[in-house]
Amino acid sequence: MNPILSFIVILIGIYGLAISKNIIKSVFCITIVEAGTILLFLNFGAYEGGLIPILTSLGLDVVDPLPQALMITTIVIGSTITSLALMLCIKIFHHYGSIEWKVIFKGDK
Amino acid sequence: MAKFIPILFIFVPIISAVIIYLIKNKAITNIVFLTQIILIFLLGYYAYELSRDPSISIIILGGWNEKFAISLRNDTLSLLFVGLTIFMWTMVLFYTFKTNSKYHKYLFFLMFLEGIFLAFLQTNDLFNLFVFLELITVLITILLSFKKNGPSLKAAIYYLLLNTLGAMFFLIGIIILYYTYGSINMTYLAENISTHAQKPIIKFAYMMMIAGASVKAALFPLYTWLPRAHGVAYTSLSALLSGLLVKGGLYLFIRVHIYMFGYQTYQMTEVLFYIGAITALVGVVLALSQKDLKQVLAHHTISQVGIMMMGLSYGYGLSYYGGLFHLVNHALFKSLLFLCAGLIIYEYKTKKIYAIRGVFKSMPLTSIFLIIGMLAISGAPFFNGYVSKTLVKYSFKDVPLKMFLFTLINIGTVTSFLKFSQILFGDRVKLEKRKDSKQFISIITIGLLCIVIGLFYKELGMFIFNIDFSYVKLFDFRAWLDYLIYIAIGYVLYKYYISKDYKPIRQIREYQITFETANYLFIFYIAFLSLMMYYIL
Repeated sequence: MNPILSFIVILIGIYGLAISKNIIKSVFCITIVEAGTILLFLNFGAYEGGLIPILTSLGLDVVDPLPQALMITTIVIGSTITSLALMLCIKIFHHYGSIEWKVIFKGDK
Repeated sequence: MAKFIPILFIFVPIISAVIIYLIKNKAITNIVFLTQIILIFLLGYYAYELSRDPSISIIILGGWNEKFAISLRNDTLSLLFVGLTIFMWTMVLFYTFKTNSKYHKYLFFLMFLEGIFLAFLQTNDLFNLFVFLELITVLITILLSFKKNGPSLKAAIYYLLLNTLGAMFFLIGIIILYYTYGSINMTYLAENISTHAQKPIIKFAYMMMIAGASVKAALFPLYTWLPRAHGVAYTSLSALLSGLLVKGGLYLFIRVHIYMFGYQTYQMTEVLFYIGAITALVGVVLALSQKDLKQVLAHHTISQVGIMMMGLSYGYGLSYYGGLFHLVNHALFKSLLFLCAGLIIYEYKTKKIYAIRGVFKSMPLTSIFLIIGMLAISGAPFFNGYVSKTLVKYSFKDVPLKMFLFTLINIGTVTSFLKFSQILFGDRVKLEKRKDSKQFISIITIGLLCIVIGLFYKELGMFIFNIDFSYVKLFDFRAWLDYLIYIAIGYVLYKYYISKDYKPIRQIREYQITFETANYLFIFYIAFLSLMMYYIL
């Protein structure tokens, strides 16, 4: 897979962040940016025909295991952030009766 | 054994946080002070041992090869930050203890944040840096939304989403570095950066990392999350956020731009200087238009970060050390101002500048320290702000445009604090005094430190940076005259323009940048940086 593809995914996410008027959509767009980043890293670590880096394939032609280990951490962080953001969405909905950016920031300052 | 103290720095606060959370007992919360005392002793011992034996500066976890292993590393920069962190946390805990000791969860997250921030400062591994960055974001979000009212929830989600986006871009930079160099060890990268530094992909990675750090440091135009977050939080948290945690972004910037890539690799000094100058100017203009005590201080944080950036962008010499020194000084006087403002807001039960009058007669002790903070931030001689602002000026004192910008920023700062000081005048107001002597311990300590650093800066400069600060002269007639002229111009500006609240000022105050626009601005910022790098190189 081409790294350009993962950059396209990231750009789609940022485009979504810049146009979405709903908080939940913004949270999903952050998730898309993150997915693009993870794809990019896995892409750099892997190549066609490489084996899975586990003990039975020791000494054989395996892919780089470090990106996979790091990306699992990134996925965990991403899920933490998504759940925290969704929790905040629920609280905001209870307070304002809406999850539109425009409505909740109305009359600010 | 001194080698393993960096690990204790991280785990002592976290363990005390867990104890507070598990044993929900009012007496057991006093453990936070024990923790701080232990940390101070450990820091002193570690700094002493490090000066005798430099080999203990690095600790490799797990016994792997140094190039691949996770490691912690301490140098002057990180030890300076570690000392500042421990000091600030001690002061804030003194301030907040009586009011918040019944909220075990609040103290739990506060102490946990200390451990994570100390880990963030000491790590020598780029990916761990990213992990701790995200953890800090998550913990601050939880602390911000702790009030559970509308504005704090809004500020929390705005903060979380924008900072996560910034951290993702930082991660993209890390990925590309790993792909090219095969390591994410910062020492290794710093030694070998020149082998591939001129490749376009590494320039791209550098740009991404600077963009990510800029979001955290609240540089123009990415500052939009800062006033919201710092305006709504608890006073203790505002002081911590403005004084210390916003410098996490600057720490990232120093690590990446100066320590890892080297400031000479890409000639970005001019670009970064003007970004800092514009940040400082915009922050001052926004602060001038505000009517809310905390909002004024929060917008001033933006402008002071800009001044630090102006100094740090040089990367060497007195200007760079002036930027670093201003970072320490800003932590002191901004937290002092926030803590005093918190006391005033508590007594008067309002945040509006025009509704508060007669503070000097009703709360004399608080207002004395408020005045110290205001003199320090506006750069009056004999206070710490003067020393670092003079040092920042060193490298561009012969460039008229840069000096003009710097003077404008100074005049703006003086003017907005003249506006701020209007709360001191007026007749005595009857108030119910809160009996809390612990709060005054922290205010008095920070206030006296502001003066002590302003007087004994030469010794301090030799002690911390090993640099001679004697360029700054206390009895410099020119500096005194400058300061008086600033006050005169500021007074005229305040009297005939700002206090009238004309339409442009109202428009600046009411204009708000939505989340969508903030993302557009982020894209524009990256585009601007890439354009600049393309033209310069």
